[in-house]
Order: sequence, then structure tokens, then C-alpha cells
Amino acid sequence: MSQNSDPMHALMTYTSSRAFLVWSLLIVFLFATSPSLHAVESGEYIRIAKAGERRIPLVLRGLDHKRSKDARYADGTDAIIRNGLEYTGMFAILGSPMNLFTGGTMFDPERRRVNMASLGSVGAELYAGGVLERDGGDVVLHMEVYDVLSGRRLLGKSYRGDRKKLREPAHEFCADLVELLTGKPSVFRSRIAYVGLNGGQKEIYMAAFDGFGAEQVTRTGGLAMTPSLSGDSSRLAYLAYIEGFPELHIMDMKQGDIVPVRKKGVKIDPAWRNGSSECATTFSFDGDQEIYLVRSDGSISRRLTRARGIDVSPSFSPDGRLMAFVSSRHGVPQVFIKDLLTGKERRLTFNGRYNTQPSWSPAGDKIAYTSMQKNGEINIFTINADGTGLRQLTYRARHNEAPSWSPDGSMIMFSSSREGQKKLYVMNADGRNQRSLNLPGQQMQPSWSLYK
Amino acid sequence: MDMKKHLLGMCVLPSVLFVAGCSCCDDAVAPQAAPAPAPAPVVEAPVAAAQIADVFYAFDSSALDPMSEAQLKENARWMLENPDATIVIEGHCDERGTNEYNIALGERRADSASNYLVNLGVDPSRIQTVSYGEERPFDPGQDEEAWAKNRRAHFVLQ
Repeated sequence: MSQNSDPMHALMTYTSSRAFLVWSLLIVFLFATSPSLHAVESGEYIRIAKAGERRIPLVLRGLDHKRSKDARYADGTDAIIRNGLEYTGMFAILGSPMNLFTGGTMFDPERRRVNMASLGSVGAELYAGGVLERDGGDVVLHMEVYDVLSGRRLLGKSYRGDRKKLREPAHEFCADLVELLTGKPSVFRSRIAYVGLNGGQKEIYMAAFDGFGAEQVTRTGGLAMTPSLSGDSSRLAYLAYIEGFPELHIMDMKQGDIVPVRKKGVKIDPAWRNGSSECATTFSFDGDQEIYLVRSDGSISRRLTRARGIDVSPSFSPDGRLMAFVSSRHGVPQVFIKDLLTGKERRLTFNGRYNTQPSWSPAGDKIAYTSMQKNGEINIFTINADGTGLRQLTYRARHNEAPSWSPDGSMIMFSSSREGQKKLYVMNADGRNQRSLNLPGQQMQPSWSLYK
Repeated sequence: MDMKKHLLGMCVLPSVLFVAGCSCCDDAVAPQAAPAPAPAPVVEAPVAAAQIADVFYAFDSSALDPMSEAQLKENARWMLENPDATIVIEGHCDERGTNEYNIALGERRADSASNYLVNLGVDPSRIQTVSYGEERPFDPGQDEEAWAKNRRAHFVLQ
């Protein structure tokens, strides 16, 4: 790690006065979040990400740090950033070449000069690195991102966080980097709800997008299932068996209050309607199983289906106008789409005899669903909302169920029994890069949502 | 729930004993057969032994086959003979298919059994139904033998 200038100067730059630090952070922040910069810089990269049948080759340099006793914070942060960026499936992370810096101030990302020729020689298109320093109980990450071909700096920003919560500043950086490239909210600002099976009991848990920090949120003492987070994660709707009978619960995630809906008969698989504070779910109090819209106070807003047979598992288009759902009106379960404005319904799936669990993509163009096949496997497919473009995403891997899109539409989370027990998995939206979250125990029925 | 299952067990038990006793009588050895009064209970017992038992379904179906209908007639007879009894009919599914759809299917199974009893004169206020979908299998196995056992309407005495 060679350096060509006075390290004291670098130290002075960051620590001489608190006021100066605040001002410099503010300036860097304004620079990094300037809309015009985003518009110009991200435009170029959105093309790359979309063309992205391939991963973006990224040199991710471990965080430089001046004091050796900060090594553990730097190493910890490095691992979080690396795992986080790998989780997105967007990057091919390359090793850092020698001679990365050609001069400037080593511990000052504002002033050190990055060697684009060296980066280009290992095939990198992006470079990300930075300097970690400790400030009392906090760590500050001074991060830099360069476009190797043009040599332009795409991002220069500092992130401060509690040294015991390194995930927060590290993921703030990851979020900024990915959002710069895609122009969409990244997974790093999202959470998941899912069903955990422990000791024969199913309860609902919530965790960060990668399963970290899981917390049990229901305590029914037996059976809770089909969680659905509202678009802003303010409410959680789910099915709970209380004293042997099913109830629809709508939980306020801030207050923890629960509104129970105890109508006669089933309550199945609620889903929030985008752009409203209502969720749709199946009730059977009127004799047949039909889908209804329910307000967050538990009252019924209106009935949406009127066909004899099973109608379940609603999922809405991003504008909330169209609803995909499962119906057995023709004998076997198939996915249908209803236009809530005109009332018109049409059948979406024609391949296979058991198609369930539709999940509408955040971009609105695709619907993921599962199909049980003749060999007994359940596999995940995507299909365009107009019925074209059928694509199978999982193969020869037992039961793959309950697809749920990431808020930016780049990934799909699902449960799979491919290794025996049911576990949560993620894959890119095109089916590549399938891997387990490796959570302990068994999990199923993920629901992925933004939380900010 | 365990207690309810016990109650059901007590209900089924006498008929099991009866069947066992019957085969014992058929046995050629029958060394300790009772003296003269023995035949009388054998004639009466089938009438008294009307009993409730579960009914089973084909995959992705809530239709009743003739065997299920015969059992439901027996169940209805028991309900009419025991007018104070109330029951819960639980609809269950095998592990194939998906959980949400199976909750709906399980309810249709419980309802098909309940409707059959009501049509035979059982007061609907004595019957509750609930679906557990594939969440409470009776046999955890992963073959047709296990699945067939799990596709059922399960009768629980209250």
C-alpha cells in the first residue's frame, strides 16, 4: 500500500475541526445526491444493467484504514459490502489489481488518484473502494465509485454509523451504488416477512432483505401463514388460527395493534392493493369462496369475484387496477386476471393443470406463478401480463413455491425443498443465480417489501 | 385438540372391541365362549354401534365417492341417535399442491361432508367446519399411501 503524500495532511483533512467535517460531508452529500448527476450518470448505467444478461465486472477494494486497530471494522465492513453486492446478482466481483493508485493522498478518497489503466487491465468496468475511519463510537466510510472506461467518478460520499451496527452504513453505500446503476430502489432498503416452521408451529417472522436479524412477529401458538406486507411495510396481513379457527389479522407494524376479522369460514392469502390502504383476501361467509377487498379496519369494501368454485391468491398490478388470482372455475386451478375498472376477467395460464400463487412484478410487465407438473415437482414460471413469453425459472428441484418480487423487480424470493427442508431462496428475475438464504430451521411464503 | 381426539377414540373404541369380539366367536376353538345368552348382543350390536368416522377424497377433489357417502350415512345416523352431540368437521389435504389453494380445497371437503349430513336431517347448528389445508397431515409420509390418508374430512366430537 504505497502512498505518495503526507499522511498527516490526510488526517488533518478529516479531523481538524468538527465544523469542517460537517461542511465537507454536506457538500459531498449534495454532490452525490444531486438529481442532475443521477440523471446523467445513471442513464448510461441503466442500459448496462438492463442489457445485464451478464454481470457488471467490479473491482471492490477492501477499505483502507490508517490505524491498524481499525482493521476489524474495515474487514467487517468489507465483508458486508461484498456479501451485499453479491446478493444482488448484478456484479462479477474481481480482485483488486496492484498499482491501483497513482498518487494523491492515500487516506483521502477526494484526493487519491485511481489508476484506470490498471483497472482496465483486469477487465473491470467499475471500481469501488474507500477509507474507513473511526470517530469515537462511530465509523465513517468515505466511499468512491469510478467508471473505469471514462475515468469519471460516479459517487463520492461519506457514510456514518455506529461501529456496532456496521451493516447500516455499509448497506447505505450498497443501496446508493445499486440505485445509481438501476435508477430504482434497491433491495438494501427492503424487508421480508415469511413463515417460519419451528417445533411444529408456523409463525410469521420479519427480517432484512437477506434474512438477517429475523424477529418473530406473531405468537398464535400454533399456526399463522400467508403474510403480506403493504407496499410501505406499515401493515402486515396474514391468516392466524386462534383456538382452532382461522382469522384474518391486520397488524399495524408501528403500533403492533392487531385488527382480527372473524367472519364465518376461511380467510386465505391476503394481498395489498397497490395505491390503496385495502387488501384483498378470500372469504367464504357467503357460501362460495370469493375474493373481497378489505379496509385496514377489517371492514369489507367490496366483493371482487363471482364465480362458482375456488377463487384465491390475489396479486395486483403496480397501479392497482388489475388483479391476478387463482380460480378453479373451469375445474382445475388456473391464473386469471380481472380488470377492477371494467370488471372484465380473462384467463392467463393455459399450460399445465395446476397453476397457483401469482405474483405481479413491480414493473407491471410480468407475473410469476407456480405450476405443479406431472412428475410432482412444483416449479416457478414467469409470463407476460398479456399471456406471451412463458418462461420456466426452476427445474428439477422438488417443490419451488410462493414467488415474491424484490421491490426493484430485479430478484425473486421463493421457498424450495430442493435440499430436503423448505428454505428461502433468491434468484435473479430471469432465474439465474439461485441460492439459499441459509437460515436455520424451515421457512416458506416470503413477502418482500420496501420499508422506507 | 388432543382431548377432542381422545373423545373420538372413545367413540370408536366400542366398535373395535365389538369387531374383535366377533372374530373371536368365529374362531373354531372359542374355548371360553359364554353360555346361552351370548348370541343376543351379537344381533343388537351393529345397530348400537353406529359410529362416526372420517371420509376420504381424490386429489384436488371435494367430490364424495360411494364409500364416502356410505360412511356419511353412518355418521348421520350416529348424529341422529346422539342428539346432544356437536361436531367439528376438519377439511384436510395432502402435501401436494400449494398451501393457499389447499386451505380452500380443505374447506370444500369439510363443506361437502357437512352438507351431506344436513341433507340427511342433521341440524346444521350441531356442525362446525374448519379447513386446515395441508397444515396438519395425519401421515407425514411422502407417498400415495400417506397422501390418501391426508385427503380427508376429519370428524371431531366436541
